[in-house]
Amino acid sequence: MADSTEDFEPLFDYSRVQPLNFVSLDDDDDDDDTASPALSPKRRRIAKPIVIEDLEENTNVIQIADSGKNEELDWLSPPPKVSRNAQRTVVEDSTLKELRLKKKELESFTQSAEDVLRAVEESVKLQLGSSMQSSLEAVADQPSKPTCERVKIVISIQDKDGTKQFRIYTDDKFERLFKMYADKIKLDIQNLVFSFDGDKINPAATPDDLGMEENDIIEVHVKSS
Amino acid sequence: MSGGIARGRLAEERKAWRKNHPHGFVAKPETCTDGSVNLMVWQCIIPGKPGTDWDGGFFPLTLHFSEDYPSKPPKCKFPQGFFHPNVYPSGTVCLSILNEDSGWRPAITVKQILVGIQDLLDQPNPADPAQTDGYQLFIQEPTEYRRRVRQQAKQYPPLV
Repeated sequence: MADSTEDFEPLFDYSRVQPLNFVSLDDDDDDDDTASPALSPKRRRIAKPIVIEDLEENTNVIQIADSGKNEELDWLSPPPKVSRNAQRTVVEDSTLKELRLKKKELESFTQSAEDVLRAVEESVKLQLGSSMQSSLEAVADQPSKPTCERVKIVISIQDKDGTKQFRIYTDDKFERLFKMYADKIKLDIQNLVFSFDGDKINPAATPDDLGMEENDIIEVHVKSS
Repeated sequence: MSGGIARGRLAEERKAWRKNHPHGFVAKPETCTDGSVNLMVWQCIIPGKPGTDWDGGFFPLTLHFSEDYPSKPPKCKFPQGFFHPNVYPSGTVCLSILNEDSGWRPAITVKQILVGIQDLLDQPNPADPAQTDGYQLFIQEPTEYRRRVRQQAKQYPPLV
């Protein structure tokens, strides 16, 4: 057991992904179960949580400073100011200043580079997308409509003897369904009349046009010629 | 409040009808000119039973529901002057299950009403006449009665 957990440690270093809570839980477990094998990962974790805490404190400081003007200035605002001042005094060193400036320069460089990269990526994506779309449209022009999420419903076609169920697209013309049905019962489509709610169905219409819902019934009448 | 009950029940009736109804029958709430649906009035079609003199006819029937439905039955009307011993000259159907003082029960569905009326077409009840014309022919001149029935069936051909 201990071996396996050790093996997995480097693979799943949760401390990076999940901050405080998770880590502290793990620590507890480690303390309870096995002391020695978990030592090295433990150290790593301890180092990181502290960093995270620092970050959080800093953000807290900012928040407090913002909202502090409104309420309870006396005891909330002073500590953050102190910590800020402390940081400033350290920073005031000239070499540090230079370093900072350099860092900023470098950052701006990397940023501009990133921007260029992003722009290139986006243009490529756009080109790809448009070419894909055009090809899709070209393909779709011949068969049926290219809708991304086509809804299918089950429709019953009822004749005197019973019903047959069909699963059809709600934006598909009825003529397809009627042909399918005529083939199935081996009758000429010319002799069949389809109706919904007492009204004859136009083969060029779609279930959507008639407001059809799941399990609606189409009635078929065989013309007495 | 009772109107809410009536409409709720009628919405359920309509839902059930859409999913399952006997072949050739139509039953749908009236659509007003502005496109809205009036659940209280249904336009229906009752097909004549195959193998009877009524076969081939598709008879229009209107159901008028009151706010007291389903405590009270709907009023069921064929067109004025409809030929049948148990249909009043106004077209109103006289049937025990449609009478709140005799056969009506709130559990009776629209489907049961329509099938009941289809049965009545070919099986008139001479004990409860509602019009003289149909009743007297039925009792006294069966041949002429049947001719009139077949003639009427031709007057109501399928709409589709």
